[in-house]
Order: sequence, then structure tokens, then C-alpha cells
Amino acid sequence: MSVAAPALPIPAIRIRPRMRSTELLLLALVSVALVAGASSLGATQRLLAARTAGETLASLDLSPPDPRGLAVYLTALFMVHLAFVLAGRRTDQVLLPTLAMLGGIGLLLMQRLPQDLVVQRWGDVALGLGQLQLGWLLIALLVIAALALAVRSDAWLRLYKYTWAAAGIALLLLTFVFGSEVNGARLTLSIGPLSGQPSELLKVILVVFLAGYLSENRTLLAEESTRIGPLRLPPIPYLAPMVAMWAIALGIVVVQRDLGAALLFFAVFLVLLYVATGRPAYVAGGLLLFVAGSWVLYNLFAHVQLRVDNWLDPWADPLGAGFQAIQALYAFGRGGLLGVGLGAGLPTIGGRLPVPAVHTDYPLAALGEELGLIGLLAILGLYLVLVIRGLRIAAAAQDDFRAILAAGLSLVVGVQAFIIAAGNLKLIPLTGITLPLISYGGSSLLANALVVGLLLALSDRGAEPPPPPRAPRRGLGRLRRGAA
Amino acid sequence: MDGFLLTLWLVRILFLLLLYAFLFAVVRVLLRDLRAASRSRGELGRLVVLASPRGEPPAGASFALDVIATLGRDVNNSVVVDDPFVSGEHAVLTFRGRSWYVEDLGSTNGTFVNGAQVETVAAIGFGDELQLGEVRLRLDRPRT
Repeated sequence: MSVAAPALPIPAIRIRPRMRSTELLLLALVSVALVAGASSLGATQRLLAARTAGETLASLDLSPPDPRGLAVYLTALFMVHLAFVLAGRRTDQVLLPTLAMLGGIGLLLMQRLPQDLVVQRWGDVALGLGQLQLGWLLIALLVIAALALAVRSDAWLRLYKYTWAAAGIALLLLTFVFGSEVNGARLTLSIGPLSGQPSELLKVILVVFLAGYLSENRTLLAEESTRIGPLRLPPIPYLAPMVAMWAIALGIVVVQRDLGAALLFFAVFLVLLYVATGRPAYVAGGLLLFVAGSWVLYNLFAHVQLRVDNWLDPWADPLGAGFQAIQALYAFGRGGLLGVGLGAGLPTIGGRLPVPAVHTDYPLAALGEELGLIGLLAILGLYLVLVIRGLRIAAAAQDDFRAILAAGLSLVVGVQAFIIAAGNLKLIPLTGITLPLISYGGSSLLANALVVGLLLALSDRGAEPPPPPRAPRRGLGRLRRGAA
Repeated sequence: MDGFLLTLWLVRILFLLLLYAFLFAVVRVLLRDLRAASRSRGELGRLVVLASPRGEPPAGASFALDVIATLGRDVNNSVVVDDPFVSGEHAVLTFRGRSWYVEDLGSTNGTFVNGAQVETVAAIGFGDELQLGEVRLRLDRPRT
């Protein structure tokens, strides 16, 4: 009676180029839009420079401020497209252009901001903000192409979920102990010459672990076998990882002082729990835990109080704690409906930018001022497209693990964009996380490249079928020969 | 000078328009995909044979499922399972609302979902394993 499951036939890998006309068309649109944006930026900057120098321009010069950088970015995009065509895999055709548009807007913004905001030096070579962002974007595109082309099986994610979880917790503990503080938050981990923000990588690891855990225990968690008073709960041992997750989120707030990451992790966790079990009670319970935790943290820790008080009334301390928030609100106001135009916003106050963290936490304030409400809505629409596309990939996935993974990956980007956008607009207290794919920063760009690359790999309709579920326990009764 | 400003303004607006042109093109692609997906909604699930000692149906075979699929040894079942331990009319799989259910039709040796015997009706999800006699089957998502 011990019959091993037969090996499912694995289709032979045959590489044959396949046209991707939708992607090509969308990428062409992206290129035209970015060239138009860069022209407007270049012309505005030259006009303003001439005005401050007291000259009048003889003719309008519509060339981009950094034509070589833009050309390199666009060429890289089409190279990735070409690689996808040659590899002939049937992956999604909307994700790459959407990412290209967001990344391109980010690149324009970084070229537009003062280049000395971030400077990296290697010997004689000093790279400014725009060039660094371009470099990170190119590496991100490389990561996406590598993942989308090379990943054919998800076994390395599916089978080692506890290993991934352990690696994630180790990374977290390393940051707790060795992390260096920037702006009062202990976020940055430096190993030798490399430094990065592990929380960006952690969000990907978290989604992988949750997808593995929830897809395996989905039915158990949807069950109601334990009763405590009026509460009906699933078997208690299966709740342990959930409580651990809550504790980790609180730990991040207390030790790392990173409210943004804690909020992001907990929100993604609740959303995925709902996706996997379909039980609103979990979300309600999670929100109760969240409210209780927030109340306790607010009363215990000064850094949480500062953020909340600053949100409720930034005008209480307009030149100190509330300065950045107020300047961001003014920037949105100056932008109005159509914006003042790329390059024309952000007047410097006493030689420095009104919003110091404009390239990491507040890119939306700069974009809101220069592109206006119309432009902001378009950018939020781009994030929405990413999320919708991810959920479509999830709906078409062949099994639960892939479905939850795809849903989680797209929602982690969507939730992060929402948290920082709402924070910038003073809808919720500001928590310092990056605006995915637009903000400056290697860790953020690479982590989001991982997300998009994995989504592309998951969307392949010709991929290897998922492995059969682990053999369940054999409870077969006695067999009687000669059945009716 | 006013000519400059007007051109500049037009380029600015052009950028915003192109942003929306891109969004519009993307939304058209999304709608087209959704329509294609709703048209091709033929099967509701698949039954994959994992192990079958007698070779009928052969291991590895997969059946597209309609709303009702009967399983058993009789030839008039939608999925014929020719195994000595399987009854003539053994079990029936039904798709009700949004999920699958398996019903045992009073078979001699019983129907098992993930090793647990089905008394009358039991819910069965994608990825769950079904056993009739010595034949093991798995319910899979429909192919897209």
C-alpha cells in the first residue's frame, strides 16, 4: 500500500524567442514621457539660473539636464526587454514598464534635487545624488532580469521557510545590537564597506515565510476548535507564530525606534492572514492588539509621543520638530492642481532645502509641488497598477503558496506606498520609510527589485508545476476485497 | 520671452498627459486580460491521479472537472476509477458556490480526504488528497 507519488513530468526547457509587443509599446510610452519630463526639467533649471544671474535667455533650450544618464537608463530598460524576448518566457508584460515609470520619475527627481545631498567618494571619483540613483536603478534592473529569467522553481523558497525566518530574525538581532543610529532610529547595519537598511530586505523575507507558513496551515487556522469563554480560536500552538509576529513588531518599535517598519510588517501580516483564512475576526483581533500595543508604547516611549504629537499639531513647534511636516504641507499647497513644473519648486531657505529628508522620506512632497495633484494621482495610480497586477498573478497561481506569495509581494509594496504617502500628507503620523521605487537608497531599490523580480517569475505561465503537497497521514481503514 | 514660457508650460503639461497616456494604456491591457480570463472560465478544477496500482486511470493523468463529477468503477461515471476496492458508484465531487465538496455515496471501503474518512459530505480544497480504494488523487486549481 505504500505507493510513492509519481514524479510529475517536467516540461523540457526549450528556449525560443517570443515577442512581447505589449511590453515594448508600454516601454516606448515610458521613454517618451520621461524624455518630455527631462526636457521640462532642463529648460526650467536653465531659465531659473538665468533669472538669478539677471540675464535673459536668447532661445529656449529643451535638452535634459543629464542626457547621458537618461539615455543609459532607457537603454538598460530596453536591454532587459530584449533579454525577456530572447528567453521567451511567458511572464507578465505590465510590471516592467510600470516599474520603469516609477524608477524614471525617481531618477528625474534625484537629478533635480541638489546633487550634494548625498555624495559618495571612491578615490578621485565623487558621485552625486542623481548618478548614485542611476547606479542603483541599473543594479535593480539587473536583479529583476536575473530573477525573472533564472527562477523556474519555487522550491528554494517553499522548502526552507523556517531557514528564511531564522535568517530574518538573525538580521534583525544584528541590527538591534550593531546597528548605527540615524535620526534617532537604529536602522543602518554596516559590514565592512557595505552598509544597508536590513528592514527593507526583512519585508521580503517576512512575506516568503508567511506564504510558506500560512499555505501549509491554512485550513487549521480557519478552524475553530479551541474555546475560551465566548472566543472561538484555532488550535493554540498554531497561534504562537502570530503572537511572535506581534512581539517582533513591538520589539522593532522599542529597540530600533523604527515605527515605519513595524507598521509595515504588522499590516502585511494581518492582510496575509486574511488572504489565507478569509476570517475577518483575525483582522479585528489583530487591530485590537495593534491599538493596545500602540497605546502602551505611546505612554511609555518619548519617541512615539513625539511622532504622534507632531502629527496632531505640527504648528506647536514650527521651527523644530514640526518644521519638516509643515514645509511639506506648504509644498503640497504650492503645487495646487497642475504643479509648478519640474525644477521650479522647493525654494531654498537660507541656502538649505525646506524639507531635509526630501530624497528619502518626502519625495512625494517634492513631486506634489512640481507635478501637482494631477501628477500625484498618476503616481498613486502606478502603485495601484502594481498591486492589481500582483493580485491577478495571485489569482491565477497554481497553488496556495504561490498565490499567497504573489499577493504578499504586491501588497507589501502597496502598503508601504500607502503608509509613507499618508504620512507625508498628515493623514497618519509620519513614519520614516521609503517611497518604493522612487526614494533614493540602495537597500530600498534592491529590496523592491527583489519583489518585482519574484512577481515576474511567479507570473510565468509555462513554469514548473508546484510540487505535490507533503504526504498527509495515512488513516486508511481496513480494506475489504470485492467491494460492491 | 512669453513664447518661451508658453512652450515650457506646454512641455510641462505634455509630461502630465503622457503619464496619463501610460496609465490609460496599462488599464486597457488590464481590462483585456480580465475579459480574456472571464471568457476562458471553462473548468472549475482538476483531478490529478497520484497513485493507481492497477493503472486505470494511469498515475499522472489529470481530469478537468465540471460542476458535478462522479467517481466510481462503473463506466457511466465522469471519472472511471477501475480498482477492486472501489464501488460502482463510489463518490461525487460537487462545486457549490465557491468551493468543492466530496460526498460518499455509501461505498464499501469509504472515501478519504487527507487520510480522514468522509462520513457524508466534506469540504475539499485545492491541494487536498482524495483516496478511493488504493487510488490516490489530488484536487488542483483549474489551469489558466
